[in-house]
Amino acid sequence: MTRRRSTPLTIAMLAALAYFLLPLFWLVVASTKSTEDLFTTFGLWFSDSPRLFTNIYGTLTHDGGIFAHWMLNTVVYAVVSALGAALLAAAAGYGFAKFRFRGHSAAFNAVLGAIMVPTTALAIPTYLLFAQVGLVNTPWAVILPSLVSPFGFYLMRVYAQDAVPDSILEAARLDGASEVRIFFRIVMRLLAPGLVTVVLFTLVATWNNYLLPLIMLNDPSLYPVTVGLASWGSQAVGGGSGANSDMLALLLTGSTLSVVPLVVAFLLLQRYWQSGLATGGVKG
Amino acid sequence: MPESVPGHPLVSRRFFLAAAGAVSLSAALAACGADTGSTAAAGPVSQADIDKAMSTPTELTFWTWVPDIDQEVALFQKKYPAIKVNVVNAGRGTPEYTKLRTALQAGTGAPDVAQVEYQYIPTFTIMDSLLDLRPYGASALKDKFVDWTWGQVTGPNGEIWAIPQDTGPMGMLYRQDIFDQYGIQPPKTWDEFADAARKLHAANPEIYLTNLSTSDAAPWHGLLWQAGAKPYVTSGKSDIAISVNDEASKKLARYWGGLAQEGVIGAEPDFTDAWFAALNNGKYATWITAAWGPVFLAGSAKSTTGKWRAAPLPQWDASAPSSGNWGGSTSAVIKTTANPIAAAVFAQFLNSDPESAKLFATKQFFFPATKALLSDPSYVGDAPEFFGGQQVNQVFADIGTTVNPTFGWPPFLDQVVTDWTETVGKSLAGKADTVAALDQWQSRITTFAKDQGFTVKGS
Repeated sequence: MTRRRSTPLTIAMLAALAYFLLPLFWLVVASTKSTEDLFTTFGLWFSDSPRLFTNIYGTLTHDGGIFAHWMLNTVVYAVVSALGAALLAAAAGYGFAKFRFRGHSAAFNAVLGAIMVPTTALAIPTYLLFAQVGLVNTPWAVILPSLVSPFGFYLMRVYAQDAVPDSILEAARLDGASEVRIFFRIVMRLLAPGLVTVVLFTLVATWNNYLLPLIMLNDPSLYPVTVGLASWGSQAVGGGSGANSDMLALLLTGSTLSVVPLVVAFLLLQRYWQSGLATGGVKG
Repeated sequence: MPESVPGHPLVSRRFFLAAAGAVSLSAALAACGADTGSTAAAGPVSQADIDKAMSTPTELTFWTWVPDIDQEVALFQKKYPAIKVNVVNAGRGTPEYTKLRTALQAGTGAPDVAQVEYQYIPTFTIMDSLLDLRPYGASALKDKFVDWTWGQVTGPNGEIWAIPQDTGPMGMLYRQDIFDQYGIQPPKTWDEFADAARKLHAANPEIYLTNLSTSDAAPWHGLLWQAGAKPYVTSGKSDIAISVNDEASKKLARYWGGLAQEGVIGAEPDFTDAWFAALNNGKYATWITAAWGPVFLAGSAKSTTGKWRAAPLPQWDASAPSSGNWGGSTSAVIKTTANPIAAAVFAQFLNSDPESAKLFATKQFFFPATKALLSDPSYVGDAPEFFGGQQVNQVFADIGTTVNPTFGWPPFLDQVVTDWTETVGKSLAGKADTVAALDQWQSRITTFAKDQGFTVKGS
């Protein structure tokens, strides 16, 4: 493979880079400004009196430190959902990949169809069901629906098809291992790279989820950071009573803080993420 | 629900709101057929029953978005120690309504009392979700509140659906320094305003006299209100007359559409980064806003301290001054409450108790709804430095008496404002024919209303 430089491609890549990074840069710059500086200084550069730490302090202490509470909620919801979804997706994907049973293809097609249903459309029916069993306004209302990931299931099925050789399964069965033992001791290890992919997908999706927690949760101390920040946002702008533009500085700083853990998780897991995606792509 | 679109919450929310609105309205209309006697006023609740309820240990849930409202709630609990009020910040405006609608549909999880803006009261009364407060002594409060606010909270048969909390009579904030520099007098009429817009922009092409929001139907409705329009008149539960393209509306559309086409005013969304910057750097010499505007502006345009003044809106007929309202909210009791007496007493106390009402004005900087505060020298005599020592509260208190008390809102406001942005707002932003856009707006709302099962009368 020879190394060749292509000027148009380089420019296109730089443009793409700017497209993705500039908003993030703007956010970081904006979170160092006071509300006044936000509107009187150039948006893409720092003002004369940067006050990142004042803003962070303000964000973390506003309303009795509710922001830290929201971040913690988001971490709990996202991590529990991601791990649970990955486990369920692995079990289901492995099952569909390696076992034949009545209704196999019908069930598989049903799941494929489920990928196409926008989850927004399910939010209200889910609320009505949860209201019947008293789960509304509890953390479960956010976690339970996030545990099911049709896309993760599909990914795991494709992955398990090739990553888990039938010969290993047969050998394990001959040695007398139970199916449960085979799944947890052998299959899960073979599926690890794919699992990380599902974990990351679900983590990001739950982290960013807005509508479901918005309608499910009424108690601000249960909010994830998306809903919490949106409530600050609606307090900062818009005509009418109770609007306070000083909230804008807190809102922007809060937004910056809320993406940091996601960026960190991504950087830490990117090795697995890449291998998982590549494997799925080639073998799928 | 892992496959929600990351990073696009607004898109899905808007989609959802439209869908939710459609579902709830059809359900509401379907329900009306079976449920006929519900608007008849129940007999008054006796004082003995009220006393008993207010001394029985009770918990109330109150959805609101007002920051630090605990102070006002504490006053209530001091007077009625048996009642415990759980304050829930359910989000300002739309997020709260979304939750409220979902909870009402599910039949569980709704609060006892909720913060509701004036314009959303019909959205909830059409679903039969609010409690008529007449049996609980609310009628006696009528004279305490500014006349037009009482018009906003009462139904066609005299029902009292909510108690006013704060208001936003519309006026004009202007930059005294820019007016002085270019020799412009504060315009008293809309004709003078148009002349000033042309003069100012000709003198300095960087400056516009004002901006009309293309993203927010609320100021447009306020201006319609001022012009004396009655765009939505409901009678009964399923009859509505829609006329957003009548002569009063067309006058407004010709005026603002014309100024936008000439390019002598700004036509961009409000409350955006660019818009805040424009108010700070003097691109816009006025802000057509409401009584909550002065405090909001003082917070978001600190760099312009001392340069602003307040005045009434320019008038169509200078001999008969009028204004509209933009913003403000109420406390409404949700009909599903298990403790209607305590909830009704709470909603009334919160907004009519002099001490509580004064706290709203001084701590939350709400523009009051009670006559007592609007003639209280310590309130209207306030002379903030941001407005060069002008008594801005007095200016808006005077404007408040000129607001027409009979303006009404449609029971499907979400749809109406979305359609406004896509027709009228779009025409202003694109310098297109705003009068023609009114017809599109009219036909969109009419179609929607018919689809929801309303009988729509002429236009």
